[in-house]
Amino acid sequence: MIPRERRDVVVLGGGPAGLAAALAASESGSDVLVVEREERLGGILKQCVHDGFGLVRFGEQLAGPEYARRYIDLVEGRRVAVSLETFVHSVRREAPAAARRAAAADGDPGFFVLTCVNRDRGVFELEARALVLATGCRERTDRQVFIHGDRPAGVLTAGLAQHLVNIEGLLPGRRAVILGSGDIGLIMARRLTLEGMEVEGVYELKSEPSGLSRNLRQCLEDFGIPLHLSTTVVEVHGKRRVEAVTVAAVDQRGQVLPGTERRVACDTLVLSVGLIPENEIAESLGLSLDPATKGPRVDQAGESQAEGVFVCGNALHVNDLADYVSESGEAAGRAAAAFAARNGAPAARGRLVPVKAGPGFLYAVPQFVDRGRPGKAVLYFRSNATLREGARFAARAIGPDGAPAATLLEKRYAALRPPEMERVEIDVALVPVDAAAVSLELERKEGLRG
Amino acid sequence: MSLSKLRAGIAKRTGGDAGNFGALDVEVREEFSSVVLEGRVPDWRLKVELGWFAAGFGYKGVVNDLEVEGIEEERLAPSFPAGDRPLEGRSFDVAIIGGGVVGCAIARELAKWKVSAVLLEKEEDVAAHTSSRNDGMIHDGFAARPGTRKAAYNVRGNRLWEPLAGELRIDFSRPGSLVVFGSSAAKAAYPIMAARAKENGVDGWEFWSRKRLLAEEPNVTDGQHGAFFLPSAGIVSPYRATVALAESAAANGVEFSLGTCALGLEKEGGRITRVLTNRGDFRAAVVVNAAGNWSDAVAGMAGDRFFSLHQRRGVEMILDANAGRHLNHIMAMPSLLTVNRKTKGGGLVKTVEGNVLVGPTAAEAPGRENYATTAAELRELEKHLRLNKKLSPSMVITYFAGVRACTYEEDFIVERSERVPNLVHAAGIQSPGLASAPAVAEDVVRLALEALAATKRVSRNAAFVAARRAAPELRRLPFAERAALIAKNPAYGRIVCRCEEVSEGEIRDALRSPLPAASLDAVKRRARPGMGRCHGGFCTPRVMEIVADELGIPLDEVTKKGPGSRIACGQTKAGAEGGRQ
Amino acid sequence: MAETRKFVCIACPRGCPLEVDAEPDGKGGFAALAVRGNACRRGEDYGRAEIVDPRRSLTSTLRTEGAAERRLPVRTTGGVPLGRLVEAARALDGLVARPPLKCGDVIVNNLLGLGVDLVATDDLSAAAAADQGRKPAWNN
Repeated sequence: MIPRERRDVVVLGGGPAGLAAALAASESGSDVLVVEREERLGGILKQCVHDGFGLVRFGEQLAGPEYARRYIDLVEGRRVAVSLETFVHSVRREAPAAARRAAAADGDPGFFVLTCVNRDRGVFELEARALVLATGCRERTDRQVFIHGDRPAGVLTAGLAQHLVNIEGLLPGRRAVILGSGDIGLIMARRLTLEGMEVEGVYELKSEPSGLSRNLRQCLEDFGIPLHLSTTVVEVHGKRRVEAVTVAAVDQRGQVLPGTERRVACDTLVLSVGLIPENEIAESLGLSLDPATKGPRVDQAGESQAEGVFVCGNALHVNDLADYVSESGEAAGRAAAAFAARNGAPAARGRLVPVKAGPGFLYAVPQFVDRGRPGKAVLYFRSNATLREGARFAARAIGPDGAPAATLLEKRYAALRPPEMERVEIDVALVPVDAAAVSLELERKEGLRG
Repeated sequence: MSLSKLRAGIAKRTGGDAGNFGALDVEVREEFSSVVLEGRVPDWRLKVELGWFAAGFGYKGVVNDLEVEGIEEERLAPSFPAGDRPLEGRSFDVAIIGGGVVGCAIARELAKWKVSAVLLEKEEDVAAHTSSRNDGMIHDGFAARPGTRKAAYNVRGNRLWEPLAGELRIDFSRPGSLVVFGSSAAKAAYPIMAARAKENGVDGWEFWSRKRLLAEEPNVTDGQHGAFFLPSAGIVSPYRATVALAESAAANGVEFSLGTCALGLEKEGGRITRVLTNRGDFRAAVVVNAAGNWSDAVAGMAGDRFFSLHQRRGVEMILDANAGRHLNHIMAMPSLLTVNRKTKGGGLVKTVEGNVLVGPTAAEAPGRENYATTAAELRELEKHLRLNKKLSPSMVITYFAGVRACTYEEDFIVERSERVPNLVHAAGIQSPGLASAPAVAEDVVRLALEALAATKRVSRNAAFVAARRAAPELRRLPFAERAALIAKNPAYGRIVCRCEEVSEGEIRDALRSPLPAASLDAVKRRARPGMGRCHGGFCTPRVMEIVADELGIPLDEVTKKGPGSRIACGQTKAGAEGGRQ
Repeated sequence: MAETRKFVCIACPRGCPLEVDAEPDGKGGFAALAVRGNACRRGEDYGRAEIVDPRRSLTSTLRTEGAAERRLPVRTTGGVPLGRLVEAARALDGLVARPPLKCGDVIVNNLLGLGVDLVATDDLSAAAAADQGRKPAWNN
């Protein structure tokens, strides 16, 4: 018999999303447990020693561990249960046990049962009414961007480089080439430079940088590190340790332009080529994923189409700021607590109105607005192209006849860039009860005349 | 007589005629019982084609010493400097050169006898080259040309693998192989296929109608006309099999000298007396050449280079473990079978871990250890995905290249040297080398014992333990057993690699195995951390920590694959000296 | 003679494109005349400072001894002159952090006389006593 522990809410992941979710759920009166795979809480923020966190939440420029510490202290202060170095083997739904079935309401969705493994307890089960997935994201690897050539030591993702430098105190090499201008890559360019490594350059396949403008300024320009746009690494050289890479210019479709190949001597190749939400558990629960975000589809509280499963933070979509990760965690935690408090009573969930992001959007989250959740709904979106001249954003409720029924929000932006996530709020009460959709529109400034 | 025909043929192929012997500078002569090609040709492809051509004239072997513009002859050399000479002055009954699947299978077979044996491997671990760079298929034996040693060893080896895998405690599955008929013409070739399977002695074959195919393999792409099914085709993990053979051999007394490169073979009176290595020179009564892509070079060290090798690359892609549920059998396309007689053409293989492996390609290219992949090779592999509706290029998690060690005769060499009585060759072992290895090992050991009989009476090793003491794999145990193991040893409860569900305890076991891992790649071969979709992005520092702890070295000295491949080059905050050098 | 410099504001993630009119101050430096493109007061402050005396906060780690972690994350409490950032980073090489420390504890007062302190950005606890169970024996 596998030992079982019962909780109202189980949060998977003790990073910024999970901590905020656990805190919010606990403050809402839930008995919460956080499951964390690592030996300490804080998630990826533990290794993000750079500052710039917390401006939105705390109005301060905090370092990553410092930002996490604020939540850890609050979570610990409320004596929220935490299970560290714990691996979630599998998650399943279970109908209410016979003993409790008599008391269970009709339509009781039952419980989630998580089979877990750790050192102290061996194999054990956690039972929860509501589940919050705050599992973060993982990095794309050199194989996933199809880099060819040899397989020596010295090729690593930016996140692994960050862990080695900031947590383990190891220097990955002497001279690095960075592929990809994502924020972690830019941050690592500065970090490696300050630790005495030479960063030969940052190479970006696309014609525009992927990271935040301010990181281009303070991580590259400050140190004179060149950024090579429309250029990629095509081949790695070196049998045992990286000796060089071949870089080449690419056309608009990312195809290598023959004759532009150039050999760059280096002993380290750092990859910052994208992040992907960790969605294995979500998939095992049958949640449908949004191909644009690669995370589950959710409503404004992070509740997925599977009742009682809430998703937040980078597991939902890759955020640019930890502050927004915390915000989505809070929403999910609060809603999960409310769900658990119903104890199987018929859901108060209202109709899910799909959010339809029109042309010009990379994606928008959430994918649904639950009409049954009153108050404000926070929407996050990214444009799919840089709009330097600005743009006009609008959110409209579409009636059952397909015609706009209400304007929920209109907003002008001086500029939009895909790396920079935008956040807006709409009033759910303005969405008509019979709305067919919430439509998001993005209009370039050039088209705004007249 | 045949030499003049061969000369004429080569002249024709190099742009000359019989009178004017080629526009190119190519010399042909006989030496011992082989034919030797010398001179210069403009490209490597032509060199290989001339080698193939020369193989058709009944000589024992083709020694192709043609030089190619811009391609250096490769020399066997240590992969990294040795720090000591532990073998110096020692003496062994048998020295096996090469720690691939063939060398390790020979070592284990030899361990059944009371002999002192040492296996030399130039890398930091066994299975570092071709044996970890193939698709793991235990071929049925259908594809090999009838009458070849390959065909015979394959069928014999196929029968030996299942009980052997049981003794080694490794996974073996027998999903069977489907040669899918993409056209009615392919379907019409069934009787020819069946005749060949019969001639090779393959263990069973069936005709599958379109309906049967769809029932058994529901995701096969539309428009197939049925299939030729070979139920005996099996799968192992090639590197785990090799490591398991080595561990079993080591546990039964065979010495493994890693990081050890054979540099020369000293002879007296026509017999090898001493083996010279970068880790000391020692006496050996019998030498076994299982040097894979270097087996011709090792033969040359003993003055017995009657054959030479060319390299045929094979590139494969691995799909995410999620892809495994869409495939039930090994699958191949028939058109490819007939197009190229040198290869079986590749296809889709479900690995024992549940991933899908796509490939391999087969293209002659120079470079005995050239494992660099190219974009064009991957594009070529994508065609195999079209066999299955559910597979797509987005499922690719990694890809790799291997190099087949091919003679120009395109057959194995398993024999006692005709010139050096105490040398046994297991050379030119290309595909299906993995499938054949147990059978090759049996014969090589018999030949080695015959050679040894001149100096020593050898009896059976009564203490031989066939069952390998295998470390537990917790993810595969029922929860109760798993819990019991964790209670006894909490490190089994700390999952280090989340993608593959590998615990700290399993990694420590790998570092303490009878053939202990000492690098990240070696740990990966034994316990799989970092094999999953994140490719070690998360677990690498944790595995490094455990490796450093077990080996008693600083964290920055942990390597990917032995000396010269450190993950880090020093520590941060190390002061003015800027980190350890 | 006044010139216009364009750069991105780093005061917050919004990254406003700034234009700042700069004029030599007669003492070898520059004075900022006007800042445009900023969305807030912080942008204006940053824009001026960037002309007059560009500064960056330094974030890094320190070596530890007797601690549960190999490195302690740290930052300066204010900006370090950009030109001395690398020097300031190197000045941390010789420092060692010893537990216990709390997030926010000052490690160095007035780093290199630059008028900023170096503070811990995380707690640092002592290493656990001999960690049982980390070294299992080969056991089956």
